[in-house]
Amino acid sequence: MLAGLPLAQLAAIFGAVGLGVLALYLLKLRRRVVAVPFSPLWERILRDKEATTLLSRLKRLLSLLLQLVLLALLVLALGDPRAAETMVRGRTLVVLVDASASMQATDVKPNRISVAQGEVKRMARGLGGADRMLVAQMDAVVTPLGPMTGDTSQLEREIDGIEATDAPADLPRALRFATDVLRGVDGGEIVVVSDGALGDASDSSGPVHLGRARLSYLRVGKEGKNVGITQFSVRRYPLDKGHYEVMLELSNTGPDVEDVELRLLGDGALVDLTRLRLAPGERLPRFYSQLSGASRTLEATIARVDGTRDQLPADDHAYALLPERRRAKILVVSAGNTYLDAALLLDEYLDVTDVAPAAYPAAFEKGGWDAIIFDAVTPAQTPAANALYIDPRGPGSPVRVDRELKAPGFDKVDRKHPAVQWLALDDVNVARGHRLVPGPGDRVVGASDGGASPILVAGARDGHRFVALGFDVRDSDLPLRVAWPLFVLDCIDWFAGEDAKYLSGYRTGEVWRIPAGASAEYATVKMPDGATQRVAVHEGRAVLEGERSGFYQLVPGGRPDEPAVPFAANLLDARESAIAPQDRLVVDGKEAGELPPFHLGVRRDIWVYLLLAAVLLTALEWGSYHRRVTV
Amino acid sequence: MGVFDLFPRLREKKSAPADDELFSEPFQRKLEYLALVSRRVYSGKLRAERRTKKSGSGVEFADHREYQPGDDFRSLDWNVYQRFERLLVRLYEEEEDLAIYFVLDTSASMAFSDERKLRYGKRVVAALAYVGLANLDRVSIVTTCDRVMQRMPETRGKARIFKVFRFLRALEPGGATDLGEAMKTFVAQNKRRGLVVLVSDLYDPAGFEKGINVLRYNKFDTFVVHVVDPAEARPQLLGDVIVRDCETGDEREVTVTSKALDRFAAAHAQYRATVERFCATHQVPYVQANVEVPFDELILRVLRRGGFVR
Repeated sequence: MLAGLPLAQLAAIFGAVGLGVLALYLLKLRRRVVAVPFSPLWERILRDKEATTLLSRLKRLLSLLLQLVLLALLVLALGDPRAAETMVRGRTLVVLVDASASMQATDVKPNRISVAQGEVKRMARGLGGADRMLVAQMDAVVTPLGPMTGDTSQLEREIDGIEATDAPADLPRALRFATDVLRGVDGGEIVVVSDGALGDASDSSGPVHLGRARLSYLRVGKEGKNVGITQFSVRRYPLDKGHYEVMLELSNTGPDVEDVELRLLGDGALVDLTRLRLAPGERLPRFYSQLSGASRTLEATIARVDGTRDQLPADDHAYALLPERRRAKILVVSAGNTYLDAALLLDEYLDVTDVAPAAYPAAFEKGGWDAIIFDAVTPAQTPAANALYIDPRGPGSPVRVDRELKAPGFDKVDRKHPAVQWLALDDVNVARGHRLVPGPGDRVVGASDGGASPILVAGARDGHRFVALGFDVRDSDLPLRVAWPLFVLDCIDWFAGEDAKYLSGYRTGEVWRIPAGASAEYATVKMPDGATQRVAVHEGRAVLEGERSGFYQLVPGGRPDEPAVPFAANLLDARESAIAPQDRLVVDGKEAGELPPFHLGVRRDIWVYLLLAAVLLTALEWGSYHRRVTV
Repeated sequence: MGVFDLFPRLREKKSAPADDELFSEPFQRKLEYLALVSRRVYSGKLRAERRTKKSGSGVEFADHREYQPGDDFRSLDWNVYQRFERLLVRLYEEEEDLAIYFVLDTSASMAFSDERKLRYGKRVVAALAYVGLANLDRVSIVTTCDRVMQRMPETRGKARIFKVFRFLRALEPGGATDLGEAMKTFVAQNKRRGLVVLVSDLYDPAGFEKGINVLRYNKFDTFVVHVVDPAEARPQLLGDVIVRDCETGDEREVTVTSKALDRFAAAHAQYRATVERFCATHQVPYVQANVEVPFDELILRVLRRGGFVR
């Protein structure tokens, strides 16, 4: 059977080229004219030659036949002929090789990913003549390593390029990719080569449907002795930013009791050392409060007490970065507000200057303010600085002040806004206030009258942030609540760009959006292993799909003179730490079967042999020509 | 004293960029060397054979003999008669010069393969002419193809070698070979008999024998220098070709194979053997001048063979 060009087309090619060859033989080729000194000597040769004319005609005929045979072989090779049985049994496979963190486990030597590579190579070598295979790396994303091909050497090169990452595997995405590839293919097969720590085959779009594709599962790994750090969170205290708190969780996913040593390192120096015993399957949370001593980096590592390493080193290390603290210069424009002064005293890193409203213009002229707080005062025009307006009025207000409200309240609070994060404002009592009218792009953070009357608005004017509170705090019980100082400090932190939330960094396998400045179009990211990668900046954030845990450096704009922004990334995935290989893989309600055996043996690409025959004939003809057998 | 001391202009000529390799300095040195060698070879043999002992015009005393009636009284040696009272006649050696004709084939076949054969033939003629001139023979050069083309008149004396050089340098090859017709013209133009040195590749479609026979029948002492290029015996040809005669323009279709080449080489060898056998049969001195053999070696052989200067 022909897998290449159809027979009719082959016949047409053979006919056309064959006629050409025949025409060349029938037409007498113009001979080369060679001058000789004395032609009568050649006449003696010609006399001898005449006796062999018949033989030479036969030789010419033989030569023509040889050319036609060569042509037939080449045309037949174009047809890609195959044995009938291989045509029937041709298979189309999409092999998804798990390259998630758990594939770094060393329970099989040298590690699971190497064993998986070996298995897939064996599959590639076992492909029949009509079989085709596509190999894709499955981690947080799906990366096809090459086209669908039956070329064993190319497949082996692709397989060699697989490398395990520190990210979890996204099985649903990989399966959707595979089903897309196999759409329209009869009897397509999906082969998952994994340890089985893949989770459910469903995502936000719902469960994955495999259609007519057959799913096979090739298990890699044999056991799962592992203790890992599965949670790691660090935060500074909002009201005491010199100290921080660490929460972490250790998980023993193995079958044995494990004694481990947990180390906390601040800026590379040991901060805490604890010995812990974890029962099989135990998840042990630990809190460390009031820690100090780290001003920049924080790392947690675990190691077995007996000095041996568990089977997955990737989750034995977690990283966090504490943002740098610097003194913020605050200008308070107020006729006097004890509550405000008290709130600002709580943060030792604030450098507060109080001025009376009349002295504001002179004080503002000095410049260098990180934030200005207008307490029941409104400047003549909006200042070019971050500002908190308490009960603003007049044309200098960043938002228009509307009608007065009687006994407004925080009926609706945007708790995602950094200025009110973690604050309880629902039951704040306010005697009176004013309705604020937000400008375009402004965000209503708090609103009264069931959300109809904004009383707390945040936004930005000319690149400077502002928060406007629509009532005087002295007309409310807000200063008597814990929420008041936190609100003031949260506003200042938001102005300064500080984030008081947990500082555990980014998770591997997710898309990271790292602040990189609004002006940069791209940024350069230095990876934990020292390699650099250029990434695009979208809406002021560098977008990067991270697959390695550790400390990163981001240089906005890619210029070396720009200050680098450090950040940390961690695996922190209990599913990946549970490295015990799974025996079953269930997708779409069906259990993945065993991989059907391949028909090992010689390749059935007959065209190769046809081409070899043509080359051999050409060589014979060449040899005979030079020995003047066929001339 | 070398030839450059005798002819300083020769050295100047050498330095001139227009000089071709025919008259290169090494060639001229060899020529001088050959002249000396030829003297040694000829002394007491060839030169003696060419002189006749007769009284009269000679200047060098050779011997006495008894007076015979009829002898010239002026040759009687009266001193001897006074001492011994015997009438003896003085005998003087009379030097007799020889006419040497060099017939150089300048047909197109001689110019084949980058004029290898013609250049070699010119060298041979120049060398032998120098030897002839050095021995005070009358040297003349004639070029032929199917007729007598050019002619250098008889000349004598070593100093006239430049005339020879100029003549040879100006030669242009061309034309078909017909030695028979050309030699008929030659013998008609040259009544004085002498030595004819025929320098040719003998590629004569009408047969090389005719030309030689014309010379023989007209009492010329003929000497054949057969210029042979071994490369012509095995041409670098393969496949289907048309062979075109460079002189006649005749064309033949030939399929050249290694076997055909073997047969051609055999035919070529056979042709050379035919020429040699013909010359041997008719007592014509014959030398095969292989262009790949250094020509001075060839000249030495020629001289050793002798005869042509008689």
